[in-house]
Amino acid sequence: MMESNLSKIEPVLDRYAAEPGSLITILQHTQEIYGYIPKDVMYRISERTGITPAEIMGVATFYSQFRLKPIGRYLIMLCQGTACHVNGSEKIAAAITNELGISDGETTDDGLFSLKSVACLGCCSLSPVMMINGETYGRLTPDKAVEILRSLRKESENK
Amino acid sequence: MKIVVGEGSCGIAAGAAKVYSALESALNGVNAELTFTGCNGMCFLEPIVDICDKGNLIKRLVRVTPGDAGKIAAFVNGDGDAVKDLEISDDDKAFLDKQTRIALRHCGVINPEKIEEYTATDGYKALRKVLTSMTPEEVIEVIKTSGLAGRGGAGFPTWFKWNAARQSPGEEKYLICNADEGDPGAFMDRAVIESDPHNLIEGMLIGAYAIGAKEAIVYVRAEYPLAISRLEKAISQAEEAGYLGDSILGSGFNCKMRIKAGAGAFVCGEETALIESLQGERGMPRLKPPFPAASGYWYKPSNINNVETFANVSWIILNGGEAFAAMGTENSKGTKVFALTGKVKKGGLVEIPMGKTLRDVIFDIGGGIKEDKEFKAVQMGGPSGGCIPASLLDTRIDYKELAATGAIMGSGGMVVMDSSTCMVSMARFFLDFTAKESCGKCVHCRIGTKRMLEMLDRIVKGKGKDGDIELLEELCFAVKDGALCGLGQTAPNPVLSTIRYFRDEYEAHINEKRCPAHSCGDLLSYSIDPAACRGCTLCSKKCPVGAISGTVKNPHTIDSEACVKCGSCFNVCKFGAVKVN
Amino acid sequence: MNSIKVKIDGREYVCENGMTVLQVARANGIDIPALCFIDELKPYGACGICTVEAANTPKLLRACATTVFDGMEISTNSDRIRRSRKTALELLLSDHTGDCRGPCSLNCPAGTDCQGYVKLISEGKYKEATALVKERVPLPASIGRVCPHPCETACRRNFVEQPLSIAFLKAFAADRDLASGDKYMPDPAPSSGKSVGIIGGGPAGLTAAYFLAVKGHAVTVYDSMPKMGGMLRYGIPQYRLPKEVLDMEIDTIEKLGVTLRNNIRIGKDISFDEIKTKYDATLVAIGAWQSSSMGVPGEELDGVIGGIDFLRSIALGNPVSIGKNVAVCGGGNTAMDACRSAVRLGAENVYVIYRRTRDEMPAEKVEIDEAEEEGVQYRFLCNPDEITGENGRVNGIKLQKMRLGEPDAGGRRRPVPIEGEFEYTDIDTVIMAIGQRISPEGFDELEFNQRGNISADESTFRTSVEGVFAVGDATNRGASIAIEAIGEAQKASEVIDSYLNGGIIPYKKPYFVEKTVTEADFADRERIPRAKMPQRSPEERKHDFNEINLGLSEETAKAEAKRCLECGCHDYYDCKLIKYANQYDVSPAKYAGEKHNCDKETQLVSIERDQNKCILCNLCVRVCDEEAGKGIIGLVGRGFTTVIKPEFDNVPEVTAFCKDCLKCVASCPTGALKALK
Repeated sequence: MMESNLSKIEPVLDRYAAEPGSLITILQHTQEIYGYIPKDVMYRISERTGITPAEIMGVATFYSQFRLKPIGRYLIMLCQGTACHVNGSEKIAAAITNELGISDGETTDDGLFSLKSVACLGCCSLSPVMMINGETYGRLTPDKAVEILRSLRKESENK
Repeated sequence: MKIVVGEGSCGIAAGAAKVYSALESALNGVNAELTFTGCNGMCFLEPIVDICDKGNLIKRLVRVTPGDAGKIAAFVNGDGDAVKDLEISDDDKAFLDKQTRIALRHCGVINPEKIEEYTATDGYKALRKVLTSMTPEEVIEVIKTSGLAGRGGAGFPTWFKWNAARQSPGEEKYLICNADEGDPGAFMDRAVIESDPHNLIEGMLIGAYAIGAKEAIVYVRAEYPLAISRLEKAISQAEEAGYLGDSILGSGFNCKMRIKAGAGAFVCGEETALIESLQGERGMPRLKPPFPAASGYWYKPSNINNVETFANVSWIILNGGEAFAAMGTENSKGTKVFALTGKVKKGGLVEIPMGKTLRDVIFDIGGGIKEDKEFKAVQMGGPSGGCIPASLLDTRIDYKELAATGAIMGSGGMVVMDSSTCMVSMARFFLDFTAKESCGKCVHCRIGTKRMLEMLDRIVKGKGKDGDIELLEELCFAVKDGALCGLGQTAPNPVLSTIRYFRDEYEAHINEKRCPAHSCGDLLSYSIDPAACRGCTLCSKKCPVGAISGTVKNPHTIDSEACVKCGSCFNVCKFGAVKVN
Repeated sequence: MNSIKVKIDGREYVCENGMTVLQVARANGIDIPALCFIDELKPYGACGICTVEAANTPKLLRACATTVFDGMEISTNSDRIRRSRKTALELLLSDHTGDCRGPCSLNCPAGTDCQGYVKLISEGKYKEATALVKERVPLPASIGRVCPHPCETACRRNFVEQPLSIAFLKAFAADRDLASGDKYMPDPAPSSGKSVGIIGGGPAGLTAAYFLAVKGHAVTVYDSMPKMGGMLRYGIPQYRLPKEVLDMEIDTIEKLGVTLRNNIRIGKDISFDEIKTKYDATLVAIGAWQSSSMGVPGEELDGVIGGIDFLRSIALGNPVSIGKNVAVCGGGNTAMDACRSAVRLGAENVYVIYRRTRDEMPAEKVEIDEAEEEGVQYRFLCNPDEITGENGRVNGIKLQKMRLGEPDAGGRRRPVPIEGEFEYTDIDTVIMAIGQRISPEGFDELEFNQRGNISADESTFRTSVEGVFAVGDATNRGASIAIEAIGEAQKASEVIDSYLNGGIIPYKKPYFVEKTVTEADFADRERIPRAKMPQRSPEERKHDFNEINLGLSEETAKAEAKRCLECGCHDYYDCKLIKYANQYDVSPAKYAGEKHNCDKETQLVSIERDQNKCILCNLCVRVCDEEAGKGIIGLVGRGFTTVIKPEFDNVPEVTAFCKDCLKCVASCPTGALKALK
């Protein structure tokens, strides 16, 4: 197992470890710092907070925001809201899967893209919608979605 | 002149931030102030740019692109016609004019990041009134008079909850705002926080005063980063201005406020699950009773309301409970905000008095169905709600009347569907959602929703069998009865309401292996009518799997083995040659 | 504490304020089922089994968590509640993978707890093992020797190498018990004052007599033969079942106070009506004692004898002369008994005539082989066409040659005559072992079915006559194996007991959770060959009727018992889930769908966890957390895919904390957790 730089989480723990009920907040910071929630960091959290590792694992696997594995450079969050569904989000999902060869929750072999279905992003009027690294893409068609992915790939190759 | 860009999440998604930067450069050196506001709810017209002069809106420009920045600069510089093609039409203007805005009254009007804009529009006046001239009991009395009911879904009288928490013994009490807007089709709470955060803070402070809480917490979905950052700003501004903290406005009333970001779990919309989550635990509902009013956050008396509920409070205090109660029906008072989406022409946020009909919202305000197709149903209440068919379009917006249809008022998601939406697939969509979001604690919900989903899955794949509808109904009733919390108890609603109104669609899937809406891929087959095909090759170019062959000007054919039933050919054919069976 | 009054199911109870509905109900002997609740822990509310209704409350309430109030009116058993509980159980079972009972037990017509007694044998507890067998089979030493053991057919050791030698182990334990000088005797209930007359002292009649006597009823068994035992005595040769063994087991039944009356034939020595009126209940278990005939010309000749008639004559010690050449027609176990007996009587040529081939023979393979070892000659694909004779006595048999055609409905290939091809053999005696029928004389009052057997209800064993029950070979589908008759008799004894107590409770096949397995599931098992039963050599044994098997040694028996794969759930007798499942008459198949798939059993210190049986009641997690103060296991994931795991699956880390208090195991309502020690 890769070892994480535990010193990065210490300030977060200094701030929250003693405050009851802050486990979710701590895990959110952990994910911000490391991109996901590494196991050794969870043990560190356990040491500092006194919360058992089993409980931390329970919380980390309950909420869909948390990831226990690193993700690709581009995180495609495909909205699963009702409006998106009515406007054909399933076809967008199929097009993405077809283009990248990954299904929900998976990352491409080159580590470039991760696909994640998410609950409503709240941009219902632009449905169907996906969000990639904070940028929202609306009124998608399968073609348009594929185009966006290809341009991101190109962009990363040029870097 | 003041140039105001609408920067709600969906405005930004539509390109408002790019428009803003374009304007920054275009207006460089021009005598105009560039600023932004939240979301005015006209999502179908985003990005929107308002041009104001001396406090008056003189031009509302819609679907603005960064390329239009120059035109706006030209207009500011005196070219009166420069933005003519961007101006909102009279018809679209009516979208807002036909609404009655209370909860959304500042949305898209003020800059949400400036407390002074809020105070300039009577902001924090209600708080001052409460703290200086009213007892908590009087506040609760006003809310009782107003008839305000919980806008999160269940419609429980707000005063009753406040009173219960007030009456609960104990010094330490909490006021919690549920901003974990979970219905995948509702976004009014996000709009309120992004566009008018101080209104929420003010409403919460009044509530905290009423129940005797010294701490208030906003539980916001993590998917709403913009809302969180604007609310953070607003809280620190309010603290600085003395609206939050010790002895607020010198009244001796202390209250602090903080934000807790959720981490993605629909079930946390359920009060007790939300409390568990606030305590850093898995969001699994507690047994009720005890209710949060008696034992909530850290097992202290707590009161939870949702964003829209709080957004009405300051208005009610300022205008009186009677003014609020004057709107609406016998059972449902005031206004309600709806997130109108789906196959409707004008999608966005609609706030109207209770008692208006669904037809008023969808046709009068929403402009009817896209491409003038036939209206089929409207989904209300999201995963806990149901589908209301065309025959019930004249149902009034009223908690009881909507419940009678099998749907619920819910948080106000209103997803419009036309003839291309398969109702069985719709039910499957919601069950997929609830099954994924079930916390897994109680048996009825954990396994029941999974089994319902599997049955629906079979039906949309053409593998349904005789008796499936009855079995599905039986399971639905059992889950309604046996599930522990609201999520499970209402999860069967989308299934039951679609069976109730669209049983024939279920039967067509099961008995004839046919999807009347031509939507369920497994039940479709595409073919090309050689008589109608002109050999334009468009379909074969669009086919993602190369299943269409043919030469120019000769009829094309589809290899049904290779076809993935995506419908691209059907959509692109200009001659109606692609047939769906 | 102030007292309040509540009404439960219409009756008023006084209880303390602050109690839950569940506490009040249980304190007053009202059973409310619950899976996720134990007294030591706070209510959790997950299982949804303890739901009750309260007046003026539209929602169902969870009894474990609802506090009573003065004047509360509670209903614990309405239709709505039963429906809700049933659905919850069905949903749980739709995601519950395991085997309540091993396939051995499920395939045993008497439902014997094979796995249980095999385990006891492996521990050297022979009396306990015998006692456990005798909960279903009162003649284990006899049955263990002769049973065609459907248990072994189903044994999953078949996937590894060979089935466990279950039947012989049963005989081993019972022999040890009989020889111990302190043989197992059940403890009969006090006298009920009721009486039962049983007609027929075969395996069925004796079984019913045993169980009814244990229940305190006065039982009398009538039999037309000189001794009890029926076909076990008169149809099974001594070399397979020494009658001394049978005598000892019958002795136990007699010692229970059962009156045994032999040499009494119904309709001759006593009328059916007399028995019927004399006893509070009557059981007819007369068996099928008449050989079927083939309808071949020459069957009336001297020297043609029925298989069971032949065996009976030997058992009675009558002189039997069969000559040098004997033909036995048929391919079943009676044919084997007959041909091997003929060998022992000194016949030079013993032919077994069978119209199909060896593979299709219904007899047990071991019998077929042993007969051959003893010199029996098989004439396959032959069917008697005519029995020839001279002066009224057999002198030969004409055989029609056959071939195998298309499979019949049962999957066996149908024999088809080859036109014009015949064989002729000189024969002195022809033994017809092709089946047996009932002799209905004396039972005219009863209703018979089209096959000529007594009609008895499948679940109550009632006949057309009030108070008269019937089981075994004489009923419904006719003759079968002994264990089948024993199974019916055991079930019938329960029904008759309920009948005597005033309300008949039909037998209902219990619901069991069963899983499907394949050979692949056992790929990693060590191959251990099946214990071989020591036998006398064919040369030696074929000359006398002494028992051919010498019995398993203790060492071999224990080692053999340890081969058991222990397929059945260790928690079967304590499992709340299966108890409730049967109380609520579940049919979970309608909700069949995806199941949790957790192949791996993780081993946590001295606990074995089988997540396939977990119902997520979370008791283990809570008890570890709240009671043991450890918190080393937890819920992982959410919704349907939730599982309970030790932290990060990190067993070595966890073992450092786990104190082996086993509170989790004790709290588990199903067999998901097992203490390894």
